Amino acid sequence: MTAASGSAAGPTIVERHGPRPARFSLATRESISGFLYISPWIVGLLLFTLAPMVASFVMSFTDFDPRSPGETTFIGFANYERMVRGILGQPGGDPLIGSSLFITVRFAAILIPVTLGFALGVAMLVNSTLLAGRNLFRTLFYMPMQIPIVASTLIWIGMLNASTGWFNSILGSVGVDGPDWLNNVAWVAPSLTIMGLWGIGNMMLIFLAGLQGIPTELYDAAKVDGAGRWSTFRKITLPMLSPVLFYNVIITLIGTFQYFTQAYIIGNGRGDPAGATNFFNFHLYREGWAFYDMGYASALAWLLFAIVLVLTIGVFRTAGSWVYEAGGDR
Amino acid sequence: MNARRSTPRALIAWLGIVAILAAACGGTTASSAPSSAAAATEAPTASPSDAVIQTPVPGQGGLTSDGRPLIRWFVGLGTGERPNHIGVEQAVVDAYNADHPETVVSLEIYRNAVAYDTLATQIATGNAPDIIGPIGIRALQSFGDQLLDLTPYIGDVDLSEIPQGLIDTYKVDGKQIGIPMAVYPSFVYYNKKLFDEAGVAYPPHKIGDLYEGKEWNWETVAELAKTLTVDAAGNDATSAAFDAANIVQYGLDAQWTENDARAWATVFGGSGSIVADDGKTAQFPDNWRQGLEYYYDGIWNGHFIPAKAAVDGMSGGNTFQSGQVAMDVVHLWYTCCVYPAEGTPPVTDYDIAVVPVGRDGTTTGKLHADTIGILASSPHPDIAFDVLSYLSSSAELTNIYGAMPARPSAQDAFFTDLQASQDATRKTLGLDPMVIDWQVAKDMLNYTDTPSHESYMPNFQRADAANKALGSKLWTTTGLSVATEIDALVTELNGIFAE
Repeated sequence: MTAASGSAAGPTIVERHGPRPARFSLATRESISGFLYISPWIVGLLLFTLAPMVASFVMSFTDFDPRSPGETTFIGFANYERMVRGILGQPGGDPLIGSSLFITVRFAAILIPVTLGFALGVAMLVNSTLLAGRNLFRTLFYMPMQIPIVASTLIWIGMLNASTGWFNSILGSVGVDGPDWLNNVAWVAPSLTIMGLWGIGNMMLIFLAGLQGIPTELYDAAKVDGAGRWSTFRKITLPMLSPVLFYNVIITLIGTFQYFTQAYIIGNGRGDPAGATNFFNFHLYREGWAFYDMGYASALAWLLFAIVLVLTIGVFRTAGSWVYEAGGDR
Repeated sequence: MNARRSTPRALIAWLGIVAILAAACGGTTASSAPSSAAAATEAPTASPSDAVIQTPVPGQGGLTSDGRPLIRWFVGLGTGERPNHIGVEQAVVDAYNADHPETVVSLEIYRNAVAYDTLATQIATGNAPDIIGPIGIRALQSFGDQLLDLTPYIGDVDLSEIPQGLIDTYKVDGKQIGIPMAVYPSFVYYNKKLFDEAGVAYPPHKIGDLYEGKEWNWETVAELAKTLTVDAAGNDATSAAFDAANIVQYGLDAQWTENDARAWATVFGGSGSIVADDGKTAQFPDNWRQGLEYYYDGIWNGHFIPAKAAVDGMSGGNTFQSGQVAMDVVHLWYTCCVYPAEGTPPVTDYDIAVVPVGRDGTTTGKLHADTIGILASSPHPDIAFDVLSYLSSSAELTNIYGAMPARPSAQDAFFTDLQASQDATRKTLGLDPMVIDWQVAKDMLNYTDTPSHESYMPNFQRADAANKALGSKLWTTTGLSVATEIDALVTELNGIFAE
C-alpha cells in the first residue's frame, strides 16, 4: 500500500509500506533453491569424482612416483605410447597390457552371459507359483550378497582347494579327478566364474521385480492362443523383461571390466597362477601401487574408461533393436 | 512473500545444507553396481580400524603440540604387527621417552597388507614418518631411494662384530641405508617323529658331517626325502606302488619363500646374483639353474616336495606345522610358528640340522636380515638416529621378533631366551621341554649367501614381480622346461633393467 504525498511545487515522493518486489522471478528462485538443496551432492561430485578425474588425467602425462613426488616431470604422451606399443606387441611397450586385456575380455565374454542367464533362471524359479517356500528361497539366494567379498573369497579358496576342498572331495566320491581349480591356468577363470554365480542375488532380485511387472493378461492371451512355454518365454517374457535385462547388461559389463577383488586375493596380489588372474584393473593397480608408476597407472585408468564407455555406448545403440519400451514404436 | 516469514525458512534451509554437506564429506561415495561382478570391483582396502593397529601421536611439522621434536616410528613393512609384538614395542618406546623427556617417540603400526601403500601415500603427501622398520633387505629396496644415508652417523658406532658382507648388504648406490640389526640364518627344521616312523637317522648338525656314511648333499637329501614321502596307503616314494596322486606326507619343503625363484635357486643351488657385474645386465648363474632344476624335479618328478596345491592344503601353507613335512629349509624366524596357538600340535618334537653342501662343494644357507631405516625427509635426523640406535640394540625387541642379534656377543643370551620361550610355548600345549641345537643356527651364520638372494636389481619392483612370476609358474605347472623358462626370465629382466 502506498501513499503519495507531495505538493504542486515539488516531485511526488512515493512511500512504500509493503514488501520489496522480488529481484528474480519465481521460476528462477525455485531453480536456485533446487540447486542449493542438491549442492552437497554437487560439491561431493566435484571434490571426490571430477577433481580426481582431472588430477588423474594430468598425472597420466607425468612420471609421478608417490615415493618421490617432488621429482615428477612432464613426459607428454610417453605413457600412452607405452600402452599402445604394448597392445601392438612392439618393443618399448607394456608387456602385460595385451594379456591383461585378453584375460579381461575373455572373462567378460563368459561371465556376463552365464551370470545373466543364471540369475534370470533363478528369478523365474523363485517367481514360480509351483515353488513352495518362495520367500525362503528368495532370501537364501540373496543372502550371499550380505557376506563381505573378501571373506567369501577366502571361503571359496578353501572349498576349491585341490587337495582338501569340498568340490574335489565330492567329485572324488563319484570317481572324478577334480582339477587344481586355483593353481591351474586353465581352471582359474572357470573358478572365478563359479564364484561369480554365487553372488547373483542382486541381479536375481532385479529380474524378479521385472518378472512381476509383466502383465499376466499377456500370458493368459498366449495360453488361449496355444503358445507353449518356450514360445511364451521367447515372445513375452524376454521382450517384456528387456529393459531390466538391458540395465543388468550395462551394469555387469561395467563391473566385469573393473573386476579386481577376487582376482587380487586368489592371485596373491601377483596375478598367480602364471599371470592368469592379471585382469586389467588389477594390472592398473599393480602399476600404481606395486611398481609406484602412478603416471602410467593413470593412463591405464583412462584407457579402461574409454573401453567401458565405448562398450556402453555400443550397447545403448543396439538397445533400439531389442529393448522394449512401453509406448514406443518397435 | 512476507519478508519476516521467509527469513527463518531461509536460515533453516542453509543450516540443513551445511549439515548435509558436513555429513557427506565424512562418508563414502555410494556403490552403484548391484551385480556380483560389479560388487567384486571394490579394492581390497581394509577399514581404517583394521588397517591401522596403532595410531601415532598427533603432531605437526615434526613437532608435538607442546613443541617437542616428534619422531614417528612406522611399523608394518616387515615383522612387528603381531599381537605379542605390540606391547613390547610400546614398552620400549615408553622407556625411551621416559629417559628422553625432551623428545617424543611415537609408535604407529599398520597391517603388512596395507603398510607399503600407506607409507607411499604418507611420503607422497609430505606426511612421512621418521623411522621405518623392522624391514628386511627386500623391503628396503622398495623405499631405498627415500632413505637417509647413514654414513655420517655410523662413524662412532662399533660395527666390528658384524661381518662386512652383511653391512654391505645395506649399501645401495654407495649409500648406507641401514645397519644390520637382526639376522635370521636358515637351516633344516626336521620332524623327529616322522624320522622315527621311517626308521631313518636324523640329519647332521655339524657342517662336514656325513649322513649314514654319505656326504650330506642335495642328492643325499633327495634320497632321504623320497623315503620320508608317503602316500595314503603307506608306500614311500621309492616304492613301485607309490601313488603320487595321494601323498599324505612330504620329505622336503622350503616353505614361505613367496614364489621367489631367486630364493629357491639359492636354497638348492647356492649363492648367485641375477645381476651381472656390470650392474645392468640380467643373468642366471649355472648353479642357480641347477638349483631350480632340482626343486622343479623334486615337485613334479620325484614328488618329495609339495606343489602349491598341496601346500595350500597343509595348515594353510604352514607345511612344517601341519606335521606332514619331514624336513623344511626355513629361517630362524620360523621358530615363531612351529606350534599352533592352541590345540594339539601336529609337531611334537623337532630339531634343526645344517643345510646340505652344494654341487660346488660349498654350504650356503640363505640369510634374512632386519634393520631399521630413517627416511631422508625426517626433520630430525640426528634424533632419529639416536632412536634408531636405541631400538636396534633393544634385547626385548630382538627377542620378541625371534631375531638373532647381528653382534655375536649378544647371541648366547638371545638363544637362552629363545629356548625359554619355546619351552613356555610347549608347556601351554601340554608338551615337555625340548632342547634344540641352536649351535646349528650360529654355525649357519658363517655360511650365508653372498650376495644376498634379495639384493638390489635395477627397477626392483618390476624385476621382483618377474622373478616371482617364474617362481609361481614352476610351483604350479608341470611339464615345463626349466631352462626355457629361465631364459625367458633373463630376456624379460633385461628389458626391465633397461627401462
